Amino acid sequence: MPTNGHRRGAASTSSHATQANSQCRGATTASHHAVPPFIEIRDLEHVYPLEDGGEVAALRGVDLTIQRGEFVALVGANGSGKTTLARHLNGLLLPTAGSVRVEGLLTSEPDNLWAVRERVGMVFQNPDNQLVASTVEEDVAFGPENQALPVDEIRRRVDWALDVVGLLDYRTHPPHMLSGGQKQLVAIAGALATQPACIVFDEPTSMLDPLGRRRVRGTIRRLNAREAATVLLITQSMEEAALADRVLVLHAGRVVMDGPPAEVLGGDEQGKRLRALGLDLPVAVEIADRLRGLGLALPPGLLTVEALAGALC
Amino acid sequence: MLIRVEGLTYTYAAGTPLERAALRGVSLDIRAGERVGILGPTGSGKSTLVQHVAGLLKPTAGRVWLGDVVAHARTRAARARRRQVGLAFQYPEDQTFERTVFREVAFGPRNLGLDEAEVLARVRWALGMVGLDTTRVMGRVPFTLSGGELRRVALAGVLAMRPEVLILDEPTAGLDPRGRRELLAQVRTWQEETGMTLLLVSHDLAELPRVVERAVVLAGGGVVADGPVRQVLSDGEALRVAGLDVPPTVALLRALRTAGWSVRTDRLLPEEAAAEIAEARDILHSIADDGGGHP
Repeated sequence: MPTNGHRRGAASTSSHATQANSQCRGATTASHHAVPPFIEIRDLEHVYPLEDGGEVAALRGVDLTIQRGEFVALVGANGSGKTTLARHLNGLLLPTAGSVRVEGLLTSEPDNLWAVRERVGMVFQNPDNQLVASTVEEDVAFGPENQALPVDEIRRRVDWALDVVGLLDYRTHPPHMLSGGQKQLVAIAGALATQPACIVFDEPTSMLDPLGRRRVRGTIRRLNAREAATVLLITQSMEEAALADRVLVLHAGRVVMDGPPAEVLGGDEQGKRLRALGLDLPVAVEIADRLRGLGLALPPGLLTVEALAGALC
Repeated sequence: MLIRVEGLTYTYAAGTPLERAALRGVSLDIRAGERVGILGPTGSGKSTLVQHVAGLLKPTAGRVWLGDVVAHARTRAARARRRQVGLAFQYPEDQTFERTVFREVAFGPRNLGLDEAEVLARVRWALGMVGLDTTRVMGRVPFTLSGGELRRVALAGVLAMRPEVLILDEPTAGLDPRGRRELLAQVRTWQEETGMTLLLVSHDLAELPRVVERAVVLAGGGVVADGPVRQVLSDGEALRVAGLDVPPTVALLRALRTAGWSVRTDRLLPEEAAAEIAEARDILHSIADDGGGHP
């Protein structure tokens, strides 16, 4: 199980981490910027080798800055590089060229890896591949245990994380008996329990039913709003992207659009561009566009059914 | 062939502490050539139901008929009928096992005893149907493909059998919006050309009405709604029982209706909803012009 290996692997590098951490703090103080951006990506390229000896560029020069506390949605067609980009944020992949820094720490520096992964947690698409223990609470405790925290602190964090995702009542349940949405919430609680400043979600709702989707979306919003977590949400759903403060559109390995949802998803011109890239608009935006075509005057930026109904009434 | 599900009950792990009834007395008929959407939350029994139709599971009680044979029977006639039922699973990883994409898609047609020229023709046709570049992917190892491509390969393997009944279990999960639209449009076109029966298990309420004419909603192992897709997907109560939401188009129309607009709420597609709203708006305006006032 890759996640399992990764979580255990991360623990084994912990002794280097403290060192790396202090070195980097030194480096940061020496620079002119008092507080570096939370994530700073410069001219990032990533090339995968192919089995026939060729290669394919998944990222071709990405420049991107994400500030602490932002809620950013990342959309793009299959093969646009979304997952590759996400995996650079906590050093699961390393740049072919360019750089990725998390709070000033270069991911390409092996000594920084533990510190980077402490700051950036990941939640993947398939909840079945992410759960490692026989009860919900053991699963959530896995990360903090690897951080060698005191037992009281582990217990406090598990309680807190299960409370945030609303699964306190399920703590002694075996994860495999839960629904897909609940399993995904356990995976989120597991990522939360290590208290990363940022969580990257890679299509967390695409395998869930509508109820599971609603729960996971609600939890992601709460994490950002109440727990002040920085969130990067990769999604194929434009309704989901509209929940974010900022929407990035990736196409053929480059960021081609970047702005607030009302700007990226809400306008006529942008709509044409998104469709050309193989993406959709939120249903409310599509209906509003059609209504404008039928002669109704409506303001721009109506992203949700509620907003559209409000503008019509 | 008529598919008849009669009092179908299925219990997983019967007689153990993990015993769980996945289906409880489900009955429904599906006529030859019907296009049926099957909806319901995780654990509602959707996948269990379609696996019975494909003859992969033996009912705990009740029967599934494929025409005049029992779906899971171990007779020659039943085996021949089962070959006419193609099921593409939810997780393509569960059904890809060959060394190359060509061999993967050719597996079914070869089992039908077709000659190699016909097998090759079917593989090319099926890969084209699912939108894959035949020359680029035929020699690839399936596991080096992206998730979306793997899903298309698995589907091509089923299409290449040219089944009379095609069952797709969440065929578009993990595909981008264009991929979803194109795949379903192609399935729809192919269904129209061949008149095959189509069972589509899906959460995608936005795309479903473009493909199916009838919707069956399962919850807790039983059928909670069954009827024309327009009627079922605008029935907020039945969907709520199943833990599902109405499509956003219906949600909008319902909100307007609550606010006093005279709109039908069973317009499922964005273009239908927009036309309905514009028409209601015109009527409101003409009343206003006659001095009737605005709501």
